[in-house]
Amino acid sequence: MKPRRERIDPVAWLALPAVAYLALVYALPLIMLLARGVMGPKGFTIEPLASFLSDPFNWQVIANTLKIAALVTVVCLLIGYPTAFALAWSSGWTQVVLLAAIILPLSVGVVVKAFAWQIVLRRDGILSQLMVSLGVWDEPVRLLFTETGLVLGAANVFLPFMILPIYSVVRLIDPRLAEAAATLGATPVYRFRRIVLPLTLPGVLAGVVFVFSLSIAMYVIPSLLIGDRYQTLATLVGRSFLFMRNEQLGSTTATVLLVLAVAVVVGSGVLARRLGRSA
Amino acid sequence: MMPDFLTIAGAAKFFGAARVLDNVDLGVKRAEFVSLLGPSGCGKTTLLRIVAGLLTPDAGTVRLDNADITRRPPHHRDIGVVFQNYALFPHLTVAENVAFGLEARRAPRGETRAAVARFLGLVHMSEFADRSVRALSGGQQQRVAVARALAVRPKLLLLDEPFSALDRKLRETMQIELKRLLRELSTTAVFVTHDQDEALMMSDRIAVMNRGTIEQLADPATVYHRPATGFVLGFVGLSSRIAGEVVAAAGEEVVLATPRGKLRAAGTLASGTKAFVAVRPERIRLGAGGGDNELELPLRDIVFQGSKMQLHFDAGEGDQVIVEAAQLPGLPLAPGAPVKLSFAPADALAFALDAKP
Repeated sequence: MKPRRERIDPVAWLALPAVAYLALVYALPLIMLLARGVMGPKGFTIEPLASFLSDPFNWQVIANTLKIAALVTVVCLLIGYPTAFALAWSSGWTQVVLLAAIILPLSVGVVVKAFAWQIVLRRDGILSQLMVSLGVWDEPVRLLFTETGLVLGAANVFLPFMILPIYSVVRLIDPRLAEAAATLGATPVYRFRRIVLPLTLPGVLAGVVFVFSLSIAMYVIPSLLIGDRYQTLATLVGRSFLFMRNEQLGSTTATVLLVLAVAVVVGSGVLARRLGRSA
Repeated sequence: MMPDFLTIAGAAKFFGAARVLDNVDLGVKRAEFVSLLGPSGCGKTTLLRIVAGLLTPDAGTVRLDNADITRRPPHHRDIGVVFQNYALFPHLTVAENVAFGLEARRAPRGETRAAVARFLGLVHMSEFADRSVRALSGGQQQRVAVARALAVRPKLLLLDEPFSALDRKLRETMQIELKRLLRELSTTAVFVTHDQDEALMMSDRIAVMNRGTIEQLADPATVYHRPATGFVLGFVGLSSRIAGEVVAAAGEEVVLATPRGKLRAAGTLASGTKAFVAVRPERIRLGAGGGDNELELPLRDIVFQGSKMQLHFDAGEGDQVIVEAAQLPGLPLAPGAPVKLSFAPADALAFALDAKP
């Protein structure tokens, strides 16, 4: 549905403090940063971008970034989708405990969590010992400093951002819709596909956008869980500014990261809307 | 005699320690319209959900069209339901809602399209086919819900208070329309309502329910004129009632001694029973009647109700006397003035007093 063009609602003025704050401390510095990526000594130039894109190493970094972000999003979706239903359909103490288990970890800093995962993912870590004692692995395996370890750790950190938006739409689905579908002859699978899934799609989309944009830009978690040898766009931005003192490269990399993030978020929005209409 | 199409035998349901449905038997014939009428919490919706397969009974069986469907899941029952809030699929259009059941059954595309067009036409919603159901009024949503349930041609249609969200005027139109539609399609229907007028006007038979049991199952006229229990009497329609004690009993008739004099009434109660006589307001005449029960009471109020007048009289403690008349006789009727009333013993029913709701 398209919003109708109307005169600005006076209520919109309530957003003025937030808009002013974001314009000053976020939008303005961002514009300056991006400008630096396309401004050379002789004015506007696309030379830094062109040289960035001509380097195969940078393409590898882009691939790493998209791969990790996509894997984290998929893992969060697979775990978070059923969890959101458990949360929405439980009641009383079960629901309180579940909700606390999902929200409380948000109060633990991401650095603390990343260090905790370092301990879990070591060769002699808890995960390795567990898999060996269960007989799944023949010998201890180090997951730390691997893509798998990074995806596991990041998915843990970002899981609440997948569960909560889905939970909020599941809660609003009238249980009689599924009953009505059943009395019309729909099997449980058909009911899920035609009724429950399309109605939860807005929540899924919100969760995917949250988790994807968080994990495409994450810096601390890859720094601690996979290290310097594996670069993503965000860690490359950090390196450019902090270690290489190459502001031009940093700005260009940040521009590429921003464009990718916006493209994927907008693209998935369009896709989900189209899926929702045809379902 | 025609065998029952839907048979519920010994159905019982407990929610925790609460007995919501207590050993209910009910038979519905093919193409019959049966209402489950009762106050909220009487078990009528529970019974409906058991028939639909949305609840499993703790005891008893449900048979439909010569098959035991007690344990069959709802999507294999072939029973349509119109829910109280209609439960239309909000992300689908009107036509997609109506097509849903046929698509779930993998009906051929052409057949689905024909059925959607036909049933939207039957409920006068053809021009809304491509609208979102969110944009519809309550009455329109109800029509779509009926079309959606009927489009798959279910063996049985269940309706759970489908008119309760509509305003009075619209409700009456929809009731007449639905009744006619179901008759045209020879649909067997079970209809849940707490509205006695709705049940009386729409049903072939009414099952009056109270506290998880069926107190009476009969055609509307019998339920109204010959209520089986004090509860049915009180729940369906108004009545005048005068309490007393049975002093003589012979066959189907008893005599009660009341503060207003002796009254004869139909009933089978033993002498000495504390009881009350009940009469429908329109069966009491103004003026003396030779040989009938007679009362003389002071008039309290006259209530004008358009097509009829309702007269309230000062009766004793716990009693009430109401008379309905199409027009008032020429006598002067002033509040406070004593008026003679009479009614035939055959129109009066005696119920034991502890059966009073």
